[in-house]
Amino acid sequence: MFYSTELLKGTLKTIILKLLADNKKMYGYEITQKVKELTMDKIQITEGALYPTLHALEADGLVTTETEFIGKRVRKYYSLSPTGKAKAKEKVKELASFIETMVSLLDIKPKMA
Amino acid sequence: MYCISDEQLDFILHDLVARGIETESLRYDLLDHVCVIIEQELGEGEDFEACYTSAITTFYKQELREIEEETRLLLTCRHHLVLTRNMFFLLLFAIFLGPFIAYPYAWVVSHGGVTKWNLPFEVWGASLIFSLFPMLVLLVLFFTPDRLDPVIPWRSKVLIGIRPLIKIVPVA
Repeated sequence: MFYSTELLKGTLKTIILKLLADNKKMYGYEITQKVKELTMDKIQITEGALYPTLHALEADGLVTTETEFIGKRVRKYYSLSPTGKAKAKEKVKELASFIETMVSLLDIKPKMA
Repeated sequence: MYCISDEQLDFILHDLVARGIETESLRYDLLDHVCVIIEQELGEGEDFEACYTSAITTFYKQELREIEEETRLLLTCRHHLVLTRNMFFLLLFAIFLGPFIAYPYAWVVSHGGVTKWNLPFEVWGASLIFSLFPMLVLLVLFFTPDRLDPVIPWRSKVLIGIRPLIKIVPVA
């Protein structure tokens, strides 16, 4: 099952911030693959959503970039700034609370393993 | 693993520019991303251009320019109020119509309330006449959404804030 774009839109920043918090520094392609791997292909971040969000996070001072040359081409690694680390914790906490509220609101029974 | 040559790298860079990716850092992000995909998917002796075309078309819905526009929109709208085209026109005409609608009521209140409902014709007449034109324009805007509008294109976003006060961002 794939999730709708509307559902993912509100959580994309949180996903990216959490991944960067767990992996120190990542480049764009690596982020998309990590999300696919962790969600067993259920969530696929598109390039059209990923890069505008990364650039917005950079402009907000939440992520910093460093470049590395792979032959002639440039690879940009994204990592969290000190503000970004605090923001990542805050966003994950907010999302967890939101999920709890939705579970209670929609009367969703958690699956037993 | 396939290794992309410098000529192929230049080809991709030129193509990204031609497809509307003007921001340099975004261009380098996309260049690296598409190169990684090609290096993983292209086998020896396979067609590079066909592989590139199939990879790059997965990046967008209609045009690659969408990524550039979305990036610019997110960067610009951080300190701006983002309105759709219809919301902007609604706000604009509310500002124009508001005084005409509010003035008669303010007049009634300041002249003793509804018991003395004797507004002069000038007030009602002027309100009615001056509000007709903006009303008419508003109706045209809402009922003919697909007409050519050179000032604010259909589906564009209007950003209101400081520096610039009003900015129109076309969204694909």
